[in-house]
This record gives sequence, structure tokens and C-alpha cells, in this order.
Amino acid sequence: MKGPVFTGLILLVLVGLSLSIGVASVTSGDLSVSLLMWVSRVPRTCAALLAGAGLALAGVVVQQAVQNRFVEPGLTGTSEAAMLGLLGITLLAPGAAVGWKMTVAACAAMVGTGGFLWLARHVPRSDPMLLPLVGLIYAGILGAALMWVAWMTDLMQYVGIWRLGEFSGIVQGRYELLWIIAGLGILLYVLADRFTLLGLGEDQARSLGLDYGQTRTLGLVMVAAITAVVVVTVGAFPFVGLVVPNIVSRWRGDNLRANLPLIAAGGAGLVLAADILGRLIVFPYEIPAATIFAVFGSAVFLWLLFAAPERRRG
Amino acid sequence: MFANSMAGLALGVTLIGAAALADDITVDTAQGQVTIPQSPSPLAVFDLSAVDTLTALGVTVDGMPSPSYLDYLAPVAETAEPVGTLFEPDFEALARMAPGLIIVGARSAAQIEPLSQLAPTIDMSIWGDDQIGQVHARLAAYGEIFGHEAEASALANALDDKIAQAAAAADGKGNGLILLTNGGKMSAYGADSRFGWIHHALNLPEAQPGLSSETHGQGVSFEFLAEVDPDWLLVIDRGAAIGQAGEAAQATLDNKLVAGTKAARNGHIVYLDAGRIYVAGGGVQSMMGTLDELIAAFSDTDS
Repeated sequence: MKGPVFTGLILLVLVGLSLSIGVASVTSGDLSVSLLMWVSRVPRTCAALLAGAGLALAGVVVQQAVQNRFVEPGLTGTSEAAMLGLLGITLLAPGAAVGWKMTVAACAAMVGTGGFLWLARHVPRSDPMLLPLVGLIYAGILGAALMWVAWMTDLMQYVGIWRLGEFSGIVQGRYELLWIIAGLGILLYVLADRFTLLGLGEDQARSLGLDYGQTRTLGLVMVAAITAVVVVTVGAFPFVGLVVPNIVSRWRGDNLRANLPLIAAGGAGLVLAADILGRLIVFPYEIPAATIFAVFGSAVFLWLLFAAPERRRG
Repeated sequence: MFANSMAGLALGVTLIGAAALADDITVDTAQGQVTIPQSPSPLAVFDLSAVDTLTALGVTVDGMPSPSYLDYLAPVAETAEPVGTLFEPDFEALARMAPGLIIVGARSAAQIEPLSQLAPTIDMSIWGDDQIGQVHARLAAYGEIFGHEAEASALANALDDKIAQAAAAADGKGNGLILLTNGGKMSAYGADSRFGWIHHALNLPEAQPGLSSETHGQGVSFEFLAEVDPDWLLVIDRGAAIGQAGEAAQATLDNKLVAGTKAARNGHIVYLDAGRIYVAGGGVQSMMGTLDELIAAFSDTDS
């Protein structure tokens, strides 16, 4: 049990850092410490942890559903579809409550992911890199549609905010929807064995008694919901869902039930670390956490592609 | 015979050239001195601050971008031909129009090369350092190009008066921070930025010196606002600037961290008319309007 203890310790250190780093001074300022903590620091830390954990878990579910390690919600059109939905509701009903915006975004994300799953059925399995490429192109097409609508309606910078996830706007009352992720995470843990079977492929999963279609749909709904919540509250984070599950499975193998807590903790820790760095590099200003993560994530992605290809699954 | 007629033709061409030169004038633009014909017509303008200033001078704008976003420019937009957007000219509409002069600004400056092939094109961007000086320079240039020198100097004097009035109103009232909100996110702008002329015009000390002059400001958090604790918070709502109802600036700033700042406690959060300053910043009418808002805000206090 060394791994989980180690991960837990790192996570604790990061949380401590996150709570102690901020523009306002905890010790000398005029602000009361409890106000600062409860209004700003704790919400921000929780938001980073929840978003990171959620995206990593969404990544693992997508990977099981299409039996390919190199996909994640950012490579399946899910984020772009969520943003299209969000843009649609922003244009049609600008004053809509956040709950409605999220619902619309989640529905759009579901349709978008559904489209990817449909495509995935028709992609030959001979080369595992083919599916991520198809996903990349599919996400690119949805992204282009998004940009076109945003361009026509002068919302480019507004959409830019969703494309680049960050936590500077997070205060008490602005992030609570992310707790939905905690609920979905627990549900995922309860159903972990089902998703493990899903990863074996349709024929094997069916022969082992799994209701394949139902489990797959459930996974799709969870991924769409997580992605929508994250996009609506903090914006998109590319690579989290790709990098974290891969690192964990390299390290610990493929026991999903044992790995899920580690995957959640890994995503939470990495996103929180990216946010801490983004706060420190240009202190007292900020660099979006997604920018930091994209630099790190693309490096790890290249490593995954080139360094150890022997453990890929077709 | 043939040689004679060629000589005559050459002479004629030289004379036409000389006649054209006599009408040409040299004006200062954002890209140095440029020689253009005087009183060109029709006139296409790809910059709303230029449309703003030209209209104030009484010059007719024949083509301008659509949408124009600004209510006070709506009458101009009604009569002018739409010739594309702020960023992308509609070359076909322009070709039909055959303008005598095209004016580009900050957002359209990148298009100066292709536009130059259609008609003389000048870049009248107002950007970077000494924006008030640039406004004066553009005003003088427009006056010269269109023969409205008297109106130009009258406007320049009016602008100077307004700046003096604003500086008097803000004198001794503390420091300020310019904040742009976009959805739920915020960025801060310093004295070197595109909105920095406010600091210069009002002699308003920066609450946080050293903000970089990046186009999109510096991303900041609510904690930053609480720690910097400005006396005055000048807020520009980007969403409202382009007529988009979304999360309004007031909603974004409605939290306990902002409520604790001096600006909030003293009622010194000034929500500027965002369209004016964001879309047509540097236009004479826009600038005077913003100064009026600032004069009103800073005078309406006895602190």
C-alpha cells in the first residue's frame, strides 16, 4: 500500500501549499483569515481538486468504452460539444441560470460523445493510433463549428475563456456545482467492475454477463456530465484525462477498482499543482492552470507515444 | 511625328502628375508620414474610434464596419455602406464603392496591405504610449485631410478642457485600478495599457504599479483586488461592450472579497460605459464621454 500512502501525502502537501499561497497575506493583511480561507482559498483548492479528479475519471471511462488508451474527453469532441451547447444557450437565453446552462452543455456533450462512439465502431482496430487521430479530427471539426458560431456572433473571447480552464474567478458560491463530480466519482467506484468488463470489448463483456449497451450509455452520461460541469464552472483542461490514467496504469497495472482512487487523486493533484504554479510564476498575477497543464501534458503525451509503446492495447 | 506625339504625351502625363501632386498632402499616421490626396471621396473607415472622431469633425463617412455596436454611431451606420467587419474587410463591397481613401485602426491594421491595393490606405491606430497625444495628432491630420482645421482645433481645445476638469475632479481622491471583466474572469490594466490614458488624463496614481501593457491585461483574482485595495475601481464590462448580455460586471464583483475593499466600502466602484471605451477607445466623442463619466463619479463625493 506504499503507492496510495505516497500519493495521499503529496496531495496533502499540495493542498497545504494551495491554502497558503495567494495574493492576500494570511498573516499581515487587514482581511480576517477565516474570511480569506472560506471565501477564496478553500473554494479554489476544492475546485482544482474536483475538476482534476473528474477529468481524470472521465478519461478512464472513455478509454474503457472504446478500448483505447490514447483518447480522453478532449480528443473525443466532448469538450467542444459541451462548449457548443453552452454557446447555444448563451445566445438563445443569455440570462439562463447556471443549472440550465449546465444541463444544455451536458446534453450537447452527450450527443457529441455519442457521435464519437459511433465513429469509433467504424474505425479499424489494427492501429491503436488511428482512433485518437479520428477523435482529434472529429474534435477539430466540432471546434471549428464552435469558432465559426463564436466569430459570427462576436463571442470569440468569451469562448476563449471556456477553452482555457483556470481558477482565478473561483470564490465561494461560484464552484459548488463541481461537487457533482464527487458524487459521480463514488458511483464510478461502485460500478468499477462493470467498467473493467467494458474494457474487454463487446463480445467478451457480453459473454461474461454484462449489459454492454447499458453500461456504455451510463459511462457516456457520466463523461458528458463531468465534462459539462468542468467546462461551465472553470473551462476545459486538455490532457488530464489522457495523462493521468496512463501514468497510473503504467505504474500499478490495470485493476480498475484499485486504480480509481489513484487516478482521481492523480488528476486532482496535477491540476492543483498546475494552478499553484500558475499563481506563482507571475505573482501577483495569474497564468491559466490549463496553459501550465498543456505544456506538461503534451510532454507526457509524447513520452507515452514514444518511450514505452510495448504496453499499448489494440 | 511619332516622336513628337510621344513627347507631348509624356509632357501631358507629367502635367497630370504635377496637378495630382499639388492636391496631395502629407500627414502623420501610426506608420509614419504618408502622402495622400486631399479631401478624398468616398471614404471607407475600418475603425470605430476614427468614425467617432471624423463624425465629430463633420466629415461624412461613406463606408464603415458592421456591426458598429455603439448607439451614438448608429445614425452614421445607417447612412454608411457596410464594408465588412472590424477585422475583415468585405473586398467586393469595397471594390464597388471605389473609395478615395481607406482608414484602418488597431483592429484592422493587419489588413493594410491588401487594402492598399484598392485605394490609398492609412493606419490611424491609437495604441500604446501617449494616447492623448495620439488623439490630438489624429485630430490634426483629419482636419488637414478634409479641410476641417477649425473644427479640429476647436475639438482639441474642448478635449483639453475636459481633461483638465477631470484631473481637477480626481485630484487628491486617491489611487485607482482599471479592471476589465469578461464573464466571471477579470484582468487588470496599468498606465501603459490601452486604457492607461485614464491614469494620465486624471493624474490618477496606479493602485498597483507595474502592470504590464499586454493587450488583454493581466489575469487577476479577487484576492488580488482585496490585497491591492484600490481607492477607486474603474470597471469595463467587456460583455456589455459588445452588446452581449451575460454575467454582468456587477454580478462578477458581488462577493465578500471585493466588498471589503476601500473602493466598494466608499461606493467608489465606477462602471464605465464599456462600449464607448472598449470598442471606440481613442475616438474624441468616446473619450469625452468617458471623461464626463469620470468627472461625474469623482465629483460626486466629498472624500
